[in-house]
Amino acid sequence: MSLDYVKFSNGFEKFMPKEYRDMVEHGPFGKKVSVSQMGSFKEILEEHPMCAGCAMTLFIRLAMIAFPNPEDTITVGTAGCGRLAISQAAIPFVYGNYGDQNGVASGLSRGLRLRFGDKPKDVVVMAGDGGTADIGFQQVLHSWFRKERFTTIMLDNEVYGNTGGQESGMTNRGAVLKMAPLGKKFEKMDMLQMAKVAGCAYVATVVPNNPRRVESVIKKAVLIAREVGSTYIQAYTSCNIEYAIPTDKVMEDAKTVENDRYQFSEYVSEEAKQYLTERYGYKEFLPKPAAPAAAIPSKA
Amino acid sequence: MYLVADISVEICASKSCKLCTQYCPEANTILYSEEMGRDQGFKYGTAYVAVDRCKGCAQCVWVCDNMAKNNAIKMIMIDQLPKAALTDNITYGEKSTTAVLASPVVG
Ligand SMILES: Cc1ncc(C[n+]2csc(CCOP(=O)(O)OP(=O)(O)O)c2C)c(N)n1
Ligand code: SF4
Ligand code: SF4
Ligand code: SF4
Repeated sequence: MSLDYVKFSNGFEKFMPKEYRDMVEHGPFGKKVSVSQMGSFKEILEEHPMCAGCAMTLFIRLAMIAFPNPEDTITVGTAGCGRLAISQAAIPFVYGNYGDQNGVASGLSRGLRLRFGDKPKDVVVMAGDGGTADIGFQQVLHSWFRKERFTTIMLDNEVYGNTGGQESGMTNRGAVLKMAPLGKKFEKMDMLQMAKVAGCAYVATVVPNNPRRVESVIKKAVLIAREVGSTYIQAYTSCNIEYAIPTDKVMEDAKTVENDRYQFSEYVSEEAKQYLTERYGYKEFLPKPAAPAAAIPSKA
Repeated sequence: MYLVADISVEICASKSCKLCTQYCPEANTILYSEEMGRDQGFKYGTAYVAVDRCKGCAQCVWVCDNMAKNNAIKMIMIDQLPKAALTDNITYGEKSTTAVLASPVVG
Protein backbone atom coordinates (compact mmCIF):
# COMPACT_ATOMS: atom_id res chain seq x y z
CA MET A 1 0.00 0.00 0.00
CA SER A 2 2.19 2.73 -1.24
CA LEU A 3 3.78 3.85 -4.47
CA ASP A 4 6.20 0.94 -4.05
CA TYR A 5 3.65 -1.63 -5.05
CA VAL A 6 3.24 -0.09 -8.48
CA LYS A 7 6.86 -0.39 -9.50
CA PHE A 8 8.56 -3.12 -11.49
CA SER A 9 10.67 -5.53 -9.52
CA ASN A 10 14.27 -5.38 -10.74
CA GLY A 11 14.74 -7.34 -13.95
CA PHE A 12 11.03 -8.13 -14.40
CA GLU A 13 9.96 -5.18 -16.48
CA LYS A 14 10.36 -6.91 -19.83
CA PHE A 15 8.26 -9.86 -18.75
CA MET A 16 5.30 -7.82 -17.60
CA PRO A 17 2.16 -7.61 -19.79
CA LYS A 18 1.59 -4.39 -21.72
CA GLU A 19 -1.36 -3.40 -19.51
CA TYR A 20 0.86 -3.59 -16.44
CA ARG A 21 3.65 -1.59 -18.02
CA ASP A 22 1.15 1.07 -19.13
CA MET A 23 -0.20 1.20 -15.59
CA VAL A 24 3.20 1.73 -14.01
CA GLU A 25 4.30 4.32 -16.55
CA HIS A 26 1.05 6.09 -17.40
CA GLY A 27 -1.35 5.21 -14.60
CA PRO A 28 -2.77 7.62 -12.03
CA PHE A 29 -0.52 6.56 -9.15
CA GLY A 30 1.21 9.43 -7.40
CA LYS A 31 -0.37 11.93 -9.81
CA LYS A 32 -3.53 13.96 -9.75
CA VAL A 33 -5.82 12.78 -12.52
CA SER A 34 -9.33 13.95 -13.22
CA VAL A 35 -12.38 13.05 -15.26
CA SER A 36 -11.46 15.71 -17.83
CA GLN A 37 -8.26 13.79 -18.65
CA MET A 38 -10.08 10.50 -19.25
CA GLY A 39 -8.94 8.73 -22.40
CA SER A 40 -5.42 10.10 -22.02
CA PHE A 41 -4.04 8.09 -19.13
CA LYS A 42 -4.10 4.40 -18.26
CA GLU A 43 -6.95 3.65 -15.88
CA ILE A 44 -6.53 1.25 -12.99
CA LEU A 45 -9.73 -0.62 -13.77
CA GLU A 46 -9.14 -3.56 -16.10
CA GLU A 47 -11.44 -5.69 -18.21
CA HIS A 48 -14.17 -7.44 -16.23
CA PRO A 49 -17.30 -9.50 -16.83
CA MET A 50 -20.04 -6.98 -15.92
CA CYS A 51 -22.79 -6.63 -18.54
CA ALA A 52 -22.43 -4.38 -21.58
CA GLY A 53 -23.76 -0.90 -20.93
CA CYS A 54 -24.16 -1.35 -17.17
CA ALA A 55 -24.36 2.03 -15.42
CA MET A 56 -22.82 0.47 -12.31
CA THR A 57 -19.72 -0.25 -14.36
CA LEU A 58 -19.49 3.38 -15.42
CA PHE A 59 -19.91 4.52 -11.84
CA ILE A 60 -17.13 2.20 -10.62
CA ARG A 61 -14.89 3.43 -13.41
CA LEU A 62 -15.48 7.05 -12.40
CA ALA A 63 -15.04 6.24 -8.69
CA MET A 64 -11.61 4.76 -9.30
CA ILE A 65 -10.55 7.94 -11.08
CA ALA A 66 -11.91 10.05 -8.24
CA PHE A 67 -10.03 8.32 -5.40
CA PRO A 68 -7.67 11.01 -4.10
CA ASN A 69 -4.78 8.56 -3.49
CA PRO A 70 -5.39 5.27 -5.31
CA GLU A 71 -2.02 3.90 -4.14
CA ASP A 72 -3.17 4.29 -0.52
CA THR A 73 -6.69 2.97 -0.96
CA ILE A 74 -8.30 -0.39 -0.21
CA THR A 75 -11.76 -1.24 -1.52
CA VAL A 76 -14.10 -3.57 0.32
CA GLY A 77 -16.98 -5.31 -1.40
CA THR A 78 -19.41 -8.16 -1.07
CA ALA A 79 -21.57 -10.46 -3.17
CA GLY A 80 -23.34 -8.63 -5.99
CA CYS A 81 -22.48 -7.42 -9.46
CA GLY A 82 -20.11 -4.59 -8.50
CA ARG A 83 -17.41 -6.86 -7.10
CA LEU A 84 -16.94 -8.38 -10.55
CA ALA A 85 -15.36 -5.08 -11.64
CA ILE A 86 -14.08 -3.64 -8.35
CA SER A 87 -11.88 -6.72 -7.95
CA GLN A 88 -10.32 -6.20 -11.41
CA ALA A 89 -8.42 -3.03 -10.58
CA ALA A 90 -4.92 -2.24 -9.39
CA ILE A 91 -6.20 -1.46 -5.91
CA PRO A 92 -6.28 -4.09 -3.16
CA PHE A 93 -9.80 -5.44 -2.81
CA VAL A 94 -11.21 -7.24 0.23
CA TYR A 95 -14.18 -9.52 -0.33
CA GLY A 96 -16.02 -10.94 2.63
CA ASN A 97 -19.26 -12.82 3.14
CA TYR A 98 -22.43 -11.28 1.83
CA GLY A 99 -23.33 -8.29 3.98
CA ASP A 100 -20.31 -8.14 6.27
CA GLN A 101 -18.52 -5.41 4.30
CA ASN A 102 -18.96 -2.62 6.85
CA GLY A 103 -17.82 -4.87 9.68
CA VAL A 104 -14.73 -5.86 7.69
CA ALA A 105 -14.07 -2.24 6.75
CA SER A 106 -14.35 -1.14 10.41
CA GLY A 107 -11.61 -3.53 11.46
CA LEU A 108 -9.51 -2.74 8.42
CA SER A 109 -9.70 1.00 8.87
CA ARG A 110 -8.80 0.74 12.56
CA GLY A 111 -5.94 -1.65 11.84
CA LEU A 112 -4.51 0.66 9.16
CA ARG A 113 -4.57 3.57 11.61
CA LEU A 114 -2.70 1.53 14.19
CA ARG A 115 -0.13 0.42 11.65
CA PHE A 116 0.36 3.66 9.69
CA GLY A 117 -0.52 6.33 12.22
CA ASP A 118 -1.29 9.66 10.63
CA LYS A 119 -0.49 8.62 7.07
CA PRO A 120 -3.90 8.45 5.38
CA LYS A 121 -4.96 5.04 4.11
CA ASP A 122 -8.43 5.21 2.62
CA VAL A 123 -10.99 2.44 2.96
CA VAL A 124 -13.92 2.55 0.55
CA VAL A 125 -16.82 0.10 0.67
CA MET A 126 -18.80 -0.39 -2.52
CA ALA A 127 -21.75 -2.76 -2.30
CA GLY A 128 -25.16 -3.21 -3.89
CA ASP A 129 -28.45 -2.03 -2.45
CA GLY A 130 -29.21 -5.56 -1.26
CA GLY A 131 -25.80 -5.86 0.36
CA THR A 132 -26.09 -2.45 2.01
CA ALA A 133 -29.74 -1.93 2.94
CA ASP A 134 -30.89 -5.55 3.46
CA ILE A 135 -28.30 -8.20 4.22
CA GLY A 136 -25.61 -5.83 5.53
CA PHE A 137 -28.02 -3.37 7.12
CA GLN A 138 -27.13 -4.05 10.73
CA GLN A 139 -23.39 -3.80 10.15
CA VAL A 140 -23.79 -0.69 8.00
CA LEU A 141 -25.89 1.15 10.59
CA HIS A 142 -23.64 0.15 13.48
CA SER A 143 -20.51 1.26 11.67
CA TRP A 144 -22.17 4.66 11.19
CA PHE A 145 -23.31 4.91 14.80
CA ARG A 146 -19.74 4.10 15.84
CA LYS A 147 -18.52 6.85 13.46
CA GLU A 148 -16.08 4.49 11.77
CA ARG A 149 -13.88 6.51 9.48
CA PHE A 150 -14.41 5.04 6.02
CA THR A 151 -16.67 5.64 3.03
CA THR A 152 -19.71 3.52 2.24
CA ILE A 153 -21.00 3.66 -1.33
CA MET A 154 -24.29 2.01 -2.20
CA LEU A 155 -24.47 0.91 -5.84
CA ASP A 156 -28.24 1.22 -6.00
CA ASN A 157 -29.70 -0.61 -8.96
CA GLU A 158 -32.94 -1.07 -7.03
CA VAL A 159 -32.83 -4.86 -7.40
CA TYR A 160 -30.76 -7.95 -6.63
CA GLY A 161 -29.14 -7.91 -10.05
CA ASN A 162 -26.54 -10.63 -9.63
CA THR A 163 -29.11 -13.29 -8.71
CA GLY A 164 -31.73 -12.53 -11.32
CA GLY A 165 -34.17 -9.93 -10.08
CA GLN A 166 -35.42 -10.22 -6.49
CA GLU A 167 -36.76 -7.06 -4.84
CA SER A 168 -34.60 -5.27 -2.30
CA GLY A 169 -35.47 -2.71 0.35
CA MET A 170 -34.36 -0.08 -2.18
CA THR A 171 -36.73 -1.28 -4.93
CA ASN A 172 -39.58 1.15 -5.54
CA ARG A 173 -43.08 0.34 -4.40
CA GLY A 174 -45.03 -1.36 -7.16
CA ALA A 175 -42.00 -2.45 -9.18
CA VAL A 176 -42.58 -5.82 -10.85
CA LEU A 177 -39.45 -7.92 -11.16
CA LYS A 178 -38.79 -11.43 -12.43
CA MET A 179 -38.73 -12.78 -8.90
CA ALA A 180 -41.18 -10.27 -7.45
CA PRO A 181 -44.03 -10.90 -9.87
CA LEU A 182 -46.74 -9.39 -7.68
CA GLY A 183 -44.95 -6.06 -7.43
CA LYS A 184 -43.22 -4.67 -4.38
CA LYS A 185 -45.62 -3.85 -1.58
CA PHE A 186 -43.48 -1.43 0.45
CA GLU A 187 -41.80 1.91 -0.08
CA LYS A 188 -38.13 2.35 -1.02
CA MET A 189 -36.08 2.61 2.17
CA ASP A 190 -34.86 6.07 3.10
CA MET A 191 -31.21 5.22 3.70
CA LEU A 192 -30.18 8.86 3.32
CA GLN A 193 -32.22 9.89 6.33
CA MET A 194 -30.93 6.90 8.28
CA ALA A 195 -27.34 7.87 7.47
CA LYS A 196 -27.97 11.35 8.84
CA VAL A 197 -29.69 10.06 11.98
CA ALA A 198 -26.80 7.65 12.54
CA GLY A 199 -24.39 10.59 12.44
CA CYS A 200 -22.63 10.35 9.07
CA ALA A 201 -20.53 13.45 8.41
CA TYR A 202 -21.27 13.41 4.68
CA VAL A 203 -24.26 12.04 2.81
CA ALA A 204 -24.80 12.48 -0.93
CA THR A 205 -26.85 11.09 -3.79
CA VAL A 206 -25.46 10.97 -7.28
CA VAL A 207 -26.21 9.56 -10.73
CA PRO A 208 -23.43 8.61 -13.15
CA ASN A 209 -24.74 10.80 -15.97
CA ASN A 210 -22.76 13.62 -14.39
CA PRO A 211 -19.15 12.33 -14.26
CA ARG A 212 -17.71 15.50 -12.75
CA ARG A 213 -20.20 15.43 -9.94
CA VAL A 214 -19.44 11.77 -9.23
CA GLU A 215 -15.79 12.73 -9.03
CA SER A 216 -16.39 15.65 -6.69
CA VAL A 217 -18.70 13.73 -4.35
CA ILE A 218 -16.34 10.77 -4.04
CA LYS A 219 -13.32 12.97 -3.36
CA LYS A 220 -15.12 14.80 -0.58
CA ALA A 221 -16.47 11.60 0.98
CA VAL A 222 -13.05 9.93 1.03
CA LEU A 223 -11.27 12.98 2.42
CA ILE A 224 -13.85 13.54 5.17
CA ALA A 225 -13.67 9.87 6.19
CA ARG A 226 -9.94 10.23 6.84
CA GLU A 227 -10.55 12.17 10.02
CA VAL A 228 -14.07 13.37 10.63
CA GLY A 229 -16.29 10.28 10.50
CA SER A 230 -18.42 7.97 8.36
CA THR A 231 -19.43 9.11 4.91
CA TYR A 232 -22.18 7.70 2.70
CA ILE A 233 -22.83 8.00 -1.02
CA GLN A 234 -25.93 6.54 -2.60
CA ALA A 235 -25.51 6.19 -6.35
CA TYR A 236 -28.24 5.28 -8.81
CA THR A 237 -26.59 2.67 -11.01
CA SER A 238 -29.36 1.08 -13.07
CA CYS A 239 -29.45 -2.60 -13.94
CA ASN A 240 -30.24 -2.62 -17.65
CA ILE A 241 -30.83 -6.38 -17.56
CA GLU A 242 -33.42 -6.61 -14.77
CA TYR A 243 -35.18 -3.37 -15.75
CA ALA A 244 -34.94 -4.09 -19.49
CA ILE A 245 -33.35 -0.75 -20.35
CA PRO A 246 -31.90 -0.84 -23.87
CA THR A 247 -28.17 -0.27 -23.42
CA ASP A 248 -28.12 2.81 -25.63
CA LYS A 249 -30.84 4.35 -23.42
CA VAL A 250 -29.08 3.84 -20.08
CA MET A 251 -28.02 7.47 -19.80
CA GLU A 252 -31.46 8.67 -20.85
CA ASP A 253 -32.91 6.54 -18.05
CA ALA A 254 -30.36 7.96 -15.61
CA LYS A 255 -31.50 11.47 -16.51
CA THR A 256 -35.17 10.56 -16.06
CA VAL A 257 -34.54 8.92 -12.71
CA GLU A 258 -32.36 11.82 -11.60
CA ASN A 259 -35.24 14.19 -12.26
CA ASP A 260 -37.71 11.86 -10.59
CA ARG A 261 -36.31 10.33 -7.40
CA TYR A 262 -32.54 10.82 -7.53
CA GLN A 263 -32.00 14.56 -7.54
CA PHE A 264 -28.54 15.53 -6.42
CA SER A 265 -28.42 16.08 -2.68
CA GLU A 266 -25.50 16.66 -0.40
CA TYR A 267 -25.34 16.97 3.38
CA VAL A 268 -22.01 18.05 4.89
CA SER A 269 -21.69 18.38 8.67
CA GLU A 270 -20.31 21.65 10.01
CA GLU A 271 -17.20 19.86 11.23
CA ALA A 272 -16.65 18.32 7.82
CA LYS A 273 -17.10 21.68 6.08
CA GLN A 274 -14.48 23.24 8.32
CA TYR A 275 -12.13 20.31 7.80
CA LEU A 276 -12.39 20.40 3.99
CA THR A 277 -11.86 24.15 4.01
CA GLU A 278 -8.90 24.24 6.35
CA ARG A 279 -7.17 21.03 5.40
CA TYR A 280 -7.86 20.73 1.70
CA GLY A 281 -8.49 24.31 0.63
CA TYR A 282 -12.14 23.84 -0.38
CA LYS A 283 -13.72 27.22 -1.11
CA GLU A 284 -17.36 26.23 -1.46
CA PHE A 285 -18.10 26.26 2.27
CA LEU A 286 -16.66 29.70 2.98
CA PRO A 287 -19.27 32.26 3.95
CA LYS A 288 -20.61 33.87 0.83
CA PRO A 289 -19.57 37.53 0.58
CA ALA A 290 -22.53 39.80 1.22
CA ALA A 291 -24.18 40.88 -2.02
CA PRO A 292 -22.84 44.30 -3.02
CA ALA A 293 -25.28 47.06 -2.18
CA ALA A 294 -27.26 48.10 -5.23
CA ALA A 295 -25.42 50.82 -7.06
CA ILE A 296 -26.86 54.19 -6.20
CA PRO A 297 -27.65 55.97 -9.42
CA SER A 298 -25.57 59.08 -9.55
CA LYS A 299 -27.41 62.28 -9.99
CA ALA A 300 -26.76 63.82 -13.32
CA MET B 1 -20.25 -11.28 -35.77
CA TYR B 2 -20.91 -8.48 -33.37
CA LEU B 3 -21.15 -4.70 -33.31
CA VAL B 4 -18.51 -2.32 -32.02
CA ALA B 5 -18.38 1.45 -31.91
CA ASP B 6 -16.56 3.29 -34.68
CA ILE B 7 -15.74 7.00 -34.46
CA SER B 8 -15.43 9.06 -37.62
CA VAL B 9 -12.21 11.03 -37.33
CA GLU B 10 -13.55 13.60 -39.78
CA ILE B 11 -16.65 14.34 -37.73
CA CYS B 12 -15.15 14.03 -34.26
CA ALA B 13 -12.07 16.15 -34.97
CA SER B 14 -14.22 19.21 -35.62
CA LYS B 15 -15.41 19.10 -31.99
CA SER B 16 -13.49 16.53 -29.98
CA CYS B 17 -15.36 17.17 -26.75
CA LYS B 18 -14.25 13.89 -25.07
CA LEU B 19 -17.75 13.29 -23.68
CA CYS B 20 -17.96 9.76 -25.09
CA THR B 21 -14.74 8.91 -23.23
CA GLN B 22 -16.32 9.99 -19.96
CA TYR B 23 -19.52 8.01 -20.49
CA CYS B 24 -18.29 4.69 -21.89
CA PRO B 25 -18.83 2.17 -19.09
CA GLU B 26 -15.62 0.32 -19.96
CA ALA B 27 -12.21 1.58 -18.84
CA ASN B 28 -9.43 2.30 -21.36
CA THR B 29 -11.82 1.75 -24.26
CA ILE B 30 -12.55 5.14 -25.81
CA LEU B 31 -9.21 6.89 -25.88
CA TYR B 32 -8.15 10.26 -27.07
CA SER B 33 -5.39 11.24 -29.48
CA GLU B 34 -4.11 14.77 -30.03
CA GLU B 35 -2.42 13.67 -33.25
CA MET B 36 -5.01 11.65 -35.15
CA GLY B 37 -7.21 14.23 -36.81
CA ARG B 38 -4.71 17.06 -36.59
CA ASP B 39 -2.38 15.06 -38.84
CA GLN B 40 -5.18 15.01 -41.42
CA GLY B 41 -5.59 18.78 -41.24
CA PHE B 42 -8.58 18.88 -38.88
CA LYS B 43 -8.91 21.39 -36.08
CA TYR B 44 -8.57 19.00 -33.13
CA GLY B 45 -7.47 15.49 -32.27
CA THR B 46 -9.99 12.69 -32.09
CA ALA B 47 -11.52 10.10 -29.82
CA TYR B 48 -11.12 6.49 -30.99
CA VAL B 49 -12.17 3.05 -29.80
CA ALA B 50 -9.96 0.16 -28.68
CA VAL B 51 -12.34 -2.32 -30.29
CA ASP B 52 -11.02 -5.34 -28.40
CA ARG B 53 -12.43 -3.78 -25.21
CA CYS B 54 -15.70 -2.47 -26.64
CA LYS B 55 -18.77 -4.40 -25.44
CA GLY B 56 -21.05 -2.90 -28.07
CA CYS B 57 -23.52 -1.16 -25.76
CA ALA B 58 -23.85 1.96 -27.98
CA GLN B 59 -24.00 4.34 -25.02
CA CYS B 60 -21.30 6.41 -26.72
CA VAL B 61 -23.54 6.74 -29.78
CA TRP B 62 -26.30 8.18 -27.61
CA VAL B 63 -23.88 10.54 -25.90
CA CYS B 64 -22.35 11.82 -29.14
CA ASP B 65 -25.77 12.21 -30.83
CA ASN B 66 -27.67 13.72 -27.91
CA MET B 67 -25.17 15.41 -25.63
CA ALA B 68 -22.35 16.39 -28.00
CA LYS B 69 -24.84 16.73 -30.88
CA ASN B 70 -22.12 15.64 -33.25
CA ASN B 71 -23.26 12.23 -34.62
CA ALA B 72 -19.70 11.00 -35.01
CA ILE B 73 -20.16 7.42 -33.73
CA LYS B 74 -21.77 4.48 -35.48
CA MET B 75 -22.07 0.82 -34.51
CA ILE B 76 -20.39 -1.39 -37.11
CA MET B 77 -19.89 -5.14 -37.47
CA ILE B 78 -16.35 -5.79 -36.38
CA ASP B 79 -15.44 -7.57 -39.62
CA GLN B 80 -16.61 -4.54 -41.60
CA LEU B 81 -13.95 -2.34 -40.03
CA PRO B 82 -10.91 -2.47 -42.29
CA LYS B 83 -8.71 -1.01 -39.58
CA ALA B 84 -9.17 -0.17 -35.94
CA ALA B 85 -7.25 0.38 -32.73
CA LEU B 86 -6.45 -2.62 -30.54
CA THR B 87 -5.05 -2.39 -27.01
CA ASP B 88 -1.72 -3.94 -28.01
CA ASN B 89 -1.09 -1.17 -30.56
CA ILE B 90 -1.86 1.78 -28.31
CA THR B 91 0.90 3.94 -26.85
CA TYR B 92 0.26 6.19 -23.87
CA GLY B 93 2.04 9.55 -23.84
CA GLU B 94 2.13 12.47 -21.45
CA LYS B 95 -1.22 14.01 -22.32
CA SER B 96 -2.69 11.80 -25.00
CA THR B 97 -2.41 8.42 -26.68
CA THR B 98 -1.61 7.23 -30.17
CA ALA B 99 -2.57 4.04 -31.96
CA VAL B 100 -1.31 2.13 -34.95
CA LEU B 101 -4.47 0.92 -36.67
CA ALA B 102 -4.71 -2.67 -37.77
CA SER B 103 -7.31 -5.09 -39.02
CA PRO B 104 -9.34 -6.16 -35.96
CA VAL B 105 -10.36 -9.50 -37.45
CA VAL B 106 -7.71 -11.85 -38.75
CA GLY B 107 -9.44 -13.62 -41.60
C1 LIG C 1 -24.92 -15.26 2.47
C2 LIG C 1 -25.25 -15.21 1.03
N1 LIG C 1 -26.55 -15.28 0.64
C3 LIG C 1 -26.87 -15.19 -0.66
C4 LIG C 1 -25.90 -15.03 -1.61
C5 LIG C 1 -26.29 -14.98 -3.08
N2 LIG C 1 -26.20 -13.65 -3.64
C6 LIG C 1 -25.12 -13.28 -4.38
S1 LIG C 1 -25.27 -11.74 -5.02
C7 LIG C 1 -26.79 -11.57 -4.31
C8 LIG C 1 -27.63 -10.34 -4.54
C9 LIG C 1 -26.89 -9.10 -4.76
O1 LIG C 1 -27.77 -8.01 -4.81
P1 LIG C 1 -27.27 -6.57 -4.48
O2 LIG C 1 -26.54 -6.55 -3.21
O3 LIG C 1 -28.41 -5.62 -4.60
O4 LIG C 1 -26.20 -6.29 -5.61
P2 LIG C 1 -26.39 -6.26 -7.21
O5 LIG C 1 -26.04 -7.63 -7.69
O6 LIG C 1 -27.76 -5.86 -7.53
O7 LIG C 1 -25.39 -5.27 -7.64
C10 LIG C 1 -27.17 -12.70 -3.59
C11 LIG C 1 -28.45 -12.87 -2.90
C12 LIG C 1 -24.56 -14.98 -1.18
N3 LIG C 1 -23.55 -14.80 -2.05
N4 LIG C 1 -24.26 -15.06 0.13
S1 SF4 D 1 -27.01 -7.81 -14.02
FE1 SF4 D 1 -27.56 -5.63 -14.03
S2 SF4 D 1 -26.29 -4.64 -12.43
FE2 SF4 D 1 -25.42 -6.67 -12.87
S3 SF4 D 1 -23.78 -6.27 -14.39
FE3 SF4 D 1 -25.67 -6.81 -15.51
S4 SF4 D 1 -26.68 -4.86 -15.96
FE4 SF4 D 1 -25.16 -4.47 -14.35
S1 SF4 E 1 -18.71 12.63 -28.11
FE1 SF4 E 1 -18.53 12.69 -30.33
S2 SF4 E 1 -17.56 14.65 -30.80
FE2 SF4 E 1 -17.24 14.29 -28.61
S3 SF4 E 1 -15.24 13.27 -28.56
FE3 SF4 E 1 -16.76 11.64 -28.67
S4 SF4 E 1 -16.95 11.17 -30.85
FE4 SF4 E 1 -15.92 13.15 -30.68
S1 SF4 F 1 -20.27 0.78 -27.56
FE1 SF4 F 1 -20.24 0.88 -25.29
S2 SF4 F 1 -18.38 -0.23 -24.70
FE2 SF4 F 1 -18.19 0.26 -26.88
S3 SF4 F 1 -17.08 2.18 -26.94
FE3 SF4 F 1 -19.26 2.71 -27.00
S4 SF4 F 1 -19.83 3.05 -24.87
FE4 SF4 F 1 -17.86 1.97 -24.86
